[in-house]
Amino acid sequence: MKPPFKLIAALVVTFLTAPAAQAQQPTPRTVIFLDPAHGGPDPGAHLPNNILEKDLTLAFATRLRAQLSTAGFTLLSTRDADPAVPFPTDQRAEIANHAHPAACLILHATSSGSGIHVITSSLPERQPDDPHATIPWNTAQSASIPQSLALANEIGLALQHAKLPVILSRAAIRPLDNIICPAVAIEIAPLTRSDSEPTPVTDTAYQQNIAQAISAALTAWRSRIAAAAAPAGAQR
Amino acid sequence: MIPRYQRILFWTLVAAILLMIAFLLRGCEQAHKRLGAPSADTPIAAPTAASTEDITLYLANDTDASITPTTESLSLPQEPSIRARALLDHLLATYALPASAHPLQAGPAVADVFIFTDPNPAPGDQPGQLAVINLRGSFVDNHPSGIQVEALTVNSIIGTLHAALPQITTIRFLVDGQPHDSLAGHADLLHTYPATDTAAKPMPPTEP
Repeated sequence: MKPPFKLIAALVVTFLTAPAAQAQQPTPRTVIFLDPAHGGPDPGAHLPNNILEKDLTLAFATRLRAQLSTAGFTLLSTRDADPAVPFPTDQRAEIANHAHPAACLILHATSSGSGIHVITSSLPERQPDDPHATIPWNTAQSASIPQSLALANEIGLALQHAKLPVILSRAAIRPLDNIICPAVAIEIAPLTRSDSEPTPVTDTAYQQNIAQAISAALTAWRSRIAAAAAPAGAQR
Repeated sequence: MIPRYQRILFWTLVAAILLMIAFLLRGCEQAHKRLGAPSADTPIAAPTAASTEDITLYLANDTDASITPTTESLSLPQEPSIRARALLDHLLATYALPASAHPLQAGPAVADVFIFTDPNPAPGDQPGQLAVINLRGSFVDNHPSGIQVEALTVNSIIGTLHAALPQITTIRFLVDGQPHDSLAGHADLLHTYPATDTAAKPMPPTEP
């Protein structure tokens, strides 16, 4: 075969095999950032039966990670054990901001209130005029407020479908305000119903129901993002 | 040999004694509880001859995470800093009452409130007043820990202060005169809060 024919043949082979190669590539897995709050010398809230919030959030994160891995998510967690040294919130936000996850979940537990509290940052929404403008650390979340509110609503709906009481609210807390991805804090409170004894936050069945609902919410959230991105991709 | 009737009498008397002891202990316990518990009728402010005025307290409720404005008649000093401190002391003392929907431990909560012209007003805004609330360490140490419960306390303080002193535009917090990371591990106390109407009732999630 002469050299020009070789080149043409190589180009034809490249064009024919490229779509097939693309089709064989696995779809990118959605990354979820989990932050079991507190840890090390910071115990968090003192829960009933001498349980510390830092231990409960870690146990719940392990449970949630198993659920989300099964649902096809890639998990990034700030801690898998109790750290020996202080683990500041700024460091946790840095880990989240470097990873660019699709959603960030900050996990907390309390003995006050009832049900599950899904909290979004109370920062006002900011539309960045210049995409290259410097983002202030203390208000980094403000550009992602609409997505965070949508994520909180999605999780709230899933918890409601699981017949778990949920309260959506907003607060100024770290590291939520310093994270640039869609982010919510999920605070587990005792489950109080008028017709039965209160279920403590340490109840494993209660935690499992919450983990399943969050997994369902994130699956729906992923589909919604994919559906929103599809027309944009088709236009290109 | 002790006669049977004497044995029955003996055990009956023992049972009666035990019953009376249990009754006495229960009575003591109830009396102790009744005397020790603060009552909603307990005066939390000394009676005064000064004229009262209607003030609005933004009261938090842990059950539904709501903050509801409630009007009360109260005698308050006129000097803004002292007025703000007296008002916040009254607000936080209300939460120590047994019927409180946002229970906090009783005790002094606010050491001082400083009010001065805001040195860093938002761009384009007229310079307003900045209130710096110096909370007592004992109040912070005994505050329940949790995002929602702490945020409710902060928002209750902000809403109440905003209603009574509308010239205040921003609010900051100190604890025992020093900057402090959080109220009880969660609500950010290094944040500068805008003084706004914080009345709120969280809405349930909606179908998209």
